Amino acid sequence: MTSPLSELAELSGQFDTEAAEVSDAAAWDALRIRWLGRKQGIVRQRLAAFKQVPPEERRDYGQAVNALKGKVEGALEEIEARLAAAAAPAEAAALDVTLPGRKPMLGSIHPVSRVAAEVVDIFNGLGYSVAEGPEIEDDYYNFEALNFPPDHPARDTQDTFFLSDGRLLRTHTSPVQIRTMKARRPPIRILCLGKTFRHDNDLRHSPMFHQVEGLAVAEGITFGHLKGTLDAFLKRLFGPETAVRLRPSYFPFTEPSAEVDITCTFCGGDGCQVCSQTGWMEILGAGMVDPRVLAECGIDPGRYSGFAFGMGLDRVAMNRYGIPNIRILFDNDERLLRQVKR
Amino acid sequence: MQFSRNWLGRYVEVPEVDDLAEKLTAAGLAVEGIERSGDDVVLEIDVTTNRPDCMNHLGLAREVAVLFDRPLRAPEPQLAESDESTGDIVEIELGTPHCPEYVARVVRGIEVGPSPAWLRELLEAIGQRSINNVVDITNFVLWESGQPIHAFDLDKIAGSKIEVRYAREGERLTTLDGEERELDPAILTIADAERVVALAGIMGGLDSEVTETTRDVLIESAHFDRTAVRLGARRLGLHTDASHRFERGADHSGCRPAADRVAELLVELAGGNVTRGALENPHPEYFGDFEGTVDLERLNAFAGVDYPADGVEHYYRALGFEPRSAGDGKLRLTVPSWRYYDFWQRRDDGEVWEADLFEEAMRMFGFDMIPADLPAIGSPDLGSSREHGKRERIRELLASCGYAEAINFAFGERAADRLLPGLGSTGEPVAIANPLSEQYTVMRRSLLPNLLESARFNLRRGAPVVRLFEIGRLFPGGESEEIEAVGLIAGGGSPTPWDRQHEVDLFELKGVLESLYETFDSTLEVRPAELRGLVAGTASEIVAGDRAAGYMGQVDDAELPYPLFVVELESAALTEADHPEPVRAPSRFPSITADLTLTHALEVAWADIRQAIAAAGVANLSSFGLRDRYSGEGVPAGAVNSTIYFLYNADDRSLTQEEVNECQASLIAELERRFGWRG
Ligand SMILES: [Zn+2]
Repeated sequence: MTSPLSELAELSGQFDTEAAEVSDAAAWDALRIRWLGRKQGIVRQRLAAFKQVPPEERRDYGQAVNALKGKVEGALEEIEARLAAAAAPAEAAALDVTLPGRKPMLGSIHPVSRVAAEVVDIFNGLGYSVAEGPEIEDDYYNFEALNFPPDHPARDTQDTFFLSDGRLLRTHTSPVQIRTMKARRPPIRILCLGKTFRHDNDLRHSPMFHQVEGLAVAEGITFGHLKGTLDAFLKRLFGPETAVRLRPSYFPFTEPSAEVDITCTFCGGDGCQVCSQTGWMEILGAGMVDPRVLAECGIDPGRYSGFAFGMGLDRVAMNRYGIPNIRILFDNDERLLRQVKR
Repeated sequence: MQFSRNWLGRYVEVPEVDDLAEKLTAAGLAVEGIERSGDDVVLEIDVTTNRPDCMNHLGLAREVAVLFDRPLRAPEPQLAESDESTGDIVEIELGTPHCPEYVARVVRGIEVGPSPAWLRELLEAIGQRSINNVVDITNFVLWESGQPIHAFDLDKIAGSKIEVRYAREGERLTTLDGEERELDPAILTIADAERVVALAGIMGGLDSEVTETTRDVLIESAHFDRTAVRLGARRLGLHTDASHRFERGADHSGCRPAADRVAELLVELAGGNVTRGALENPHPEYFGDFEGTVDLERLNAFAGVDYPADGVEHYYRALGFEPRSAGDGKLRLTVPSWRYYDFWQRRDDGEVWEADLFEEAMRMFGFDMIPADLPAIGSPDLGSSREHGKRERIRELLASCGYAEAINFAFGERAADRLLPGLGSTGEPVAIANPLSEQYTVMRRSLLPNLLESARFNLRRGAPVVRLFEIGRLFPGGESEEIEAVGLIAGGGSPTPWDRQHEVDLFELKGVLESLYETFDSTLEVRPAELRGLVAGTASEIVAGDRAAGYMGQVDDAELPYPLFVVELESAALTEADHPEPVRAPSRFPSITADLTLTHALEVAWADIRQAIAAAGVANLSSFGLRDRYSGEGVPAGAVNSTIYFLYNADDRSLTQEEVNECQASLIAELERRFGWRG
C-alpha cells in the first residue's frame, strides 16, 4: 500500500499532465472543478483525509497537501490568464509595448574598411580583381622599379620609414602593381589596397594610412579610358552629381600624370573654406603607366599601354563620416566606431 | 612657390588673373592661392619636382606666353666691358666633373647700398627679404631665371683662384647663416688658393661674403651636378633656394646669360665696371642633345582623341622643341636645355620616350578636351586574391558577433613586443631605423599590444564593456613572410539587467571563434598552455595540425577595472574549400530530445566527454551539447554537474521513445563508467 505522502506526489504529476492539455475555457473549468471543487474536488478530499494520516506523518502531510493546493491554484490562474490573453489580445494591457526592445549588440566595420569594400565593389563591377603584396618592401619594388632613381628629389615626397635590415615600409601600394605586372601578362585589371606608411605625424598626417590603387594594362588603353574609369568610379563613390577634373601633375611612375579633383563635397562646388573657395577637392592621383615602368616589368611599351590611379582611403572615410582629423580614425574609440553603420 | 604678377609682367603681357590661374592649373602648374598685395597679385603655385624650369618668373612667363599665345620678352643683358681682362684677375680650376660649367664675371668699384624700391618690392612680394643691392641682385636673378648665383668679395679670395673640388677631411667652413660646419670629402665645395669659401650650389661662406665695404665682386654662375648637390645638402642638413634648384636641375645653358644679367644689374644699381669677358668652362659632352619622335597617330591613340596636326606642331614649337617633319605624320623634336632634366631618363637607344613628349601636347591642349570612355576588355580579370575575400568574411562575421573593428598602427613599442606571446615571434623584432618616437620603434609581432591599448583607451572613457577586433599583418622578421592575424579583445558587461546580456567571459570569445571556424567549415581545437601575459589556468593554444596557430586567455593585469580576454589567430588557420559544402536536407520526421546530468570530477575535460559521446556512435543521435554546468548545493565538493542535451532524429521514420531510451541508457552507462563521480 502506498503512503499518503507518495500518493500526493503522484497527484502532483497527474495534475501537471492534465493541466498541460487545457486549451479552452471549458476544459479549464472542468479542471478547476475536478481539483478545487467544494465537495468532490481532489484537493478538498485530500485535505479531508488529513485525519486518516498517522499522527507522526501529519506535519509533513499537511505541508505537502498545502503545497499541492498552492500549486494547483497558481497553475489555474496562470492558465486562465494565458487563455484570456489568447482570446482577447487587443484588450490585453499585460505588456507595456513601449518598453525598449532588447537589441542584440551589433558590431561595426571600421570606416576605412567600409570605404575600401565599396571601392572594391565598384571595381569588381568593372571587371577588376584584387591583388595584394607585402607591407615591408625593398627599395626596388617601392622606388626603383617605379622609376624613382636613387638620390632623386622625387623621393623627397615619399618620407620613408627604413628598417634596420635595409628594407622599408611601403610608402604606397604601387609595389603590388610591379609584382603583378612581373608575374602576369596583359590584359591586367587590378585593384591593390592596404596599409601604407610615411614618416609623418601631425593633425593632418598619420604615419600609417590606407591606399587603394588601380591598374589597367592592355593593348589600346588610352588616357580617355583613364578619364572614363575615374569618372564612373568617383560618381559611384561620391554621387552622380559629382564632377571630375583631371589636371596635369607629376609622378615618376606615370606619364602623363594627373591630379584628380572632384566637386567639393562640402559646398557642392560653390566654394567654401574646406576647398579654399575653389569648389574642387583633390581626391586622387593618376596617369598613364610610364613606359619605363612597363619595360622594367617586361611589358613592351610599344604594344601595350596602361593607366594607374591611387587614392587615400582614410580621407574619403573622414569625409564620408565627418571625422575631423585622421588621428581620431585610429584611436579605436568604440563610441565612434559603433556609429558607423553603413 | 610664390610668383608676383608684376614681376611676370616684365616678360609677358599678363592676362586677367583668374584666366591665368585656370589655364596654368590646366597645364600642370596648379595655382593654389591668389593673394592681392598692394598693386601686385601673388600667386601660390605648386611647381612639381620635374619642372625646375618653372621655379622662376621667366620660366613661368614662357608657359604663359605659350598658353595665351603672347610674345615672350626675355631680358637681353647689355654690357659695356672695361679693358681689364677677367682672365687676368682670377683663375678657375675645375677639379671635378661634377661642375660641368662655371662662369665667372668680375665687377669692380661697386658701392654696396640699399636696393631701389622696384627691386625691394618685387622680392618682398614673393616673401624674400631685401638685404643690399648686391645680394638682392643675385636673388633677383635666381627668381628671374632660375639660375643660382653667388657673389664673392673678390678681395677675400686668396690667390685670385677659384677651385671647384670636394672638401678635404677636416676642412671647415662658416656658412652665411653663421654656422660653422665640418666638411668631408662627400661635399662639393668652392675653394680659393687656401681654403673652402663656399658650399657648391648650396650656400656661400661668411668670410668671403659681400659686405658694406666690398668694392669688387666675383660673380659665380655655375652648373653643379644635381646628385652631388643633393648628397652634400643632405649631409649638412641644409636646404636652400639654390640647392632646391640644382637638385631638380637648372638650365644648363643658363649660366652665361645669368652671369651677364647680374653684371648688367650691378652696373645699373651699384655702379662699377664689368671687366672684359666672362670665364667659361663649358663641357659640351656633358649635355648631349636629347631628341625624340612623335608619331601623331600614336599620340592620338594614346590620348584617345584626335588632335589637329598643326596644333600639335604649334605647341611643340612654342615650347622650344624645334619640331621638324619626319614624314608620315611624324615630328622630330629636340628637348630644350631648360627641360633637360625632365627628359634625362631616355630609352636604351638614347631616344626620348614618346610618352614624355606626348605629355607636352596633351597638357597644352588640356585634359578637358579628351573624351571620357571606358576600356573594352573582353573578360573580367580573374586574378583575384583569395585572401581579400576571406578577410572580408572574417570581418563581417566578427562584426555580426557584436565586435567593433579597430585599426592600429603596424608598429609599436619595443617593450610591448614581449608582453604577449604573439605569432611567429622568435628572436628580435624588426626595428625601424628612423622611428618617429619611442612609441613606434618595432614592427608588431602581435596585434594584441596595440589592441590592448585601444581597450584601455575605451576603459579610461568609462566603457562598461569592450568588444574589439582587428585584422592585420604581423612581421616576424628575417626571411619569414608577413603573417595575417585576427585579434579579439573583450571584457565587461551590460550594466542594464533589462537587456539581459551576459558578462563577457572567455567562453564568449571562444564561442565567437568557434562560429568563425564553422564559417570556414572547420572545427576549433584548443589545448591548455602556460602563456606569457595571460592569467595562469585561463590560457590555451589554438591547434592547427601539429602546431599552434594562435592562443587565447585572460590578460594578466590586476589594474584593469574588469577582466579582459584576448584571442589571436593566424588567418591561415581558417582554411576553406573552393566550394561550400552541400547542405543536408533536414528530416521530415519529429525529433526526440533527452537530457542527462552527469556528476563528474572537475578535472574531467569537456573535450573528453564530447569525444566519448561522438565515439560511441549512437544511432540516430543528430546532435548533442552542453546545456549547463552546475556546482554548489547538492553537488559534492570537487565535482560538477554537466547537463548534456541530446537530439535524436531519423531521416526515414519517427523514432519511438523506447528506442531513444535504449540508446540513452547505454550512453549513460558508458559515461558514468568513464567519467562518473566516485567520491
Ligand atoms: Zn567647398
